[in-house]
Amino acid sequence: MILIFLLLPSLIMFFISFSKSDKSKYLLTLTLFVVLLPIVKLFLLQKPYAVLGNYLVVDKLDTYVLLVSSIVGIGVTLALLTLDKHVKVSPKAYRKFYRFFAIFWIGLILSILANNMGIYWIGLELATLSTVYMIKTNYTPAAHKEAWNYMIVGAIAVSLILFGIILMYASAKPILGEDAMSFDLLLKHAKEIPSPYLFEIGFAITTIGMFVKMGFFPMNLWLANIERASFYPVAALFSGILESAVLIGFFRFSKIAMEVNHDHLFIFIFVYTLLTIFIVSFLIFRAKDFIRLFSLSGIEHMALISMFWVSGAPFAALLHFGAHAFLKPALFLSAGVLESNGKYKIAGALKGYKGRGGTLFVVLISLFLLSIISLPPSPMFFSELYGFGAMITTAKHGNHILAMIGAILFLLILLSIIFYRFIAIYQSMKYEGEIKERKVYNIELFVLILFTFSLMILMLPTTIAYLKSIV
Amino acid sequence: MVDFYIGLFLASLIIALFTTRLYGLLLWYAINSFMLGILALTIGESIDDRAMIITGIITIMIKAFGIPYTLKNLSQKFKFVRSITPKIQVQYAIMLVPAILVFTFYLSEPIVMMIHTNANYVAISISSLFLSLLLMMEHRNVAPKIIGFLSMENSLFLLGITATNGMPMLVELGIFFDLLIAIVVINLLFNKEELKI
Repeated sequence: MILIFLLLPSLIMFFISFSKSDKSKYLLTLTLFVVLLPIVKLFLLQKPYAVLGNYLVVDKLDTYVLLVSSIVGIGVTLALLTLDKHVKVSPKAYRKFYRFFAIFWIGLILSILANNMGIYWIGLELATLSTVYMIKTNYTPAAHKEAWNYMIVGAIAVSLILFGIILMYASAKPILGEDAMSFDLLLKHAKEIPSPYLFEIGFAITTIGMFVKMGFFPMNLWLANIERASFYPVAALFSGILESAVLIGFFRFSKIAMEVNHDHLFIFIFVYTLLTIFIVSFLIFRAKDFIRLFSLSGIEHMALISMFWVSGAPFAALLHFGAHAFLKPALFLSAGVLESNGKYKIAGALKGYKGRGGTLFVVLISLFLLSIISLPPSPMFFSELYGFGAMITTAKHGNHILAMIGAILFLLILLSIIFYRFIAIYQSMKYEGEIKERKVYNIELFVLILFTFSLMILMLPTTIAYLKSIV
Repeated sequence: MVDFYIGLFLASLIIALFTTRLYGLLLWYAINSFMLGILALTIGESIDDRAMIITGIITIMIKAFGIPYTLKNLSQKFKFVRSITPKIQVQYAIMLVPAILVFTFYLSEPIVMMIHTNANYVAISISSLFLSLLLMMEHRNVAPKIIGFLSMENSLFLLGITATNGMPMLVELGIFFDLLIAIVVINLLFNKEELKI
């Protein structure tokens, strides 16, 4: 029953998207609010709760990810109402965007709730394919090219994930049979897997597929180029929701891999994420437009989340994940307003907003920009503090404390490069350039306030307690 | 008999790498998928797995006939360039293909050691995966890249059949469903005019 309610908004959205009435876009936006009801119900239920046999099972982690994703989804659909004020978009493209958003949402729910590696992959593939068309709703040669690019590179990444899943399944099938696809049973019997090496190869290939999808080394720029070419709500969806679906898979797979051989997992992920942050920090230093800047910063944060997760700081990873899921879409939607009708200049971008609404917009963007570089009281500041602290604690037990301190120092140098760039951009937005009259719409302010409140709720003691109870 | 079918599977993929005509490529993809379906039927029958037999039938229907037919129609509708010369010259490709085969057999040795049933087939499916990637890389046109992506799907399917004796039915059906969605998306991506303002 709950599954029907979870999928209902997508189905309603899919069918309404065929209507040619102008007012249907308001109805389309409102439909996603319906998804909050079953999610609230999920919070109240005793977990784990089987939604569909052993295939879709709700636990604390996926309830959290689902709630975060639905808030982002609501924010993005609300922001879509004013999309035509900032970019040129045909009514047909608008309707098709919602149609594919509905399919995307179904894929997302499947992948988040999946307790089965195969179902997870099916959901992720469905979500990936639906976003391909969303990129193309921007009718430009660049978007057309990038949609194909996304289709092909995305397909390779998702195929790598499936390749790894097959190997992991093969490694555990002798003891679990067809149940070797279930995350919970695999976790329970991880130590009994007859071919741990085969499992680890499978995990490594799956992880590389997921990391390619998130824009990690060596595919650092492909996602940034795609997000640049598409409309800004697509970039917000990528960073706030699609990457969440990829990350929840990483969390689940790595939990099993930790049981199989923690040291192998830790070294592989740590080196990979460190290398990614090293390259991304210099790419951020050279970024010349908002969308690429935020996209590359997204890669940096995804790498940090993965690093915290495997370094014995899952609470920090989840806090960082929630904060990033709210902050990044907020920044992408703000970038859409800042770059309204193709004005891509960073210098003076914050000048020219008048009235109470304008001032509030400037304040909110400033807060988001400073929060994303982890300045207190941003939740990211606390998550990084917890994360680095937990990394040192874990290293103490493993007798590699000096190596860990060295790695953290190196990481802090890289993060300071990013910090410097963001501050320089913020100053340029505020103090340089010409004053040109700009406009922000109330609905956009409402969305940004929604994300701000969500960030504040993330810091409440009850939320922190809930996150700690997940791990 | 399985050895013969798997040999034809690999051979059809290798020939596809050297094809310079679009319809020829579609034909070789269809043969590749047909062999995959026959393999699923044969292995399914030998291990008495009804789910794999059903999967084999669906593979033949969708991948060997449905998708090549749809892609041919799309190519006529959107007037694809039918001459698809690979970027890698034939003399180099002839050396590259066996090198990939030898390399993947060597690469997959540790994996093969751990899979006791159909060990060589696993190595062949991994080499087909690399050959499909090569097919995607060696062409500038989009159509061969799509065939490369679909061949990659075939290789993974073969890996699923050989390494695990088939994945659960629900997962197989889900993968087919995603493939159909992919074809719908590809169709929409080719349609350049519909979203013009």
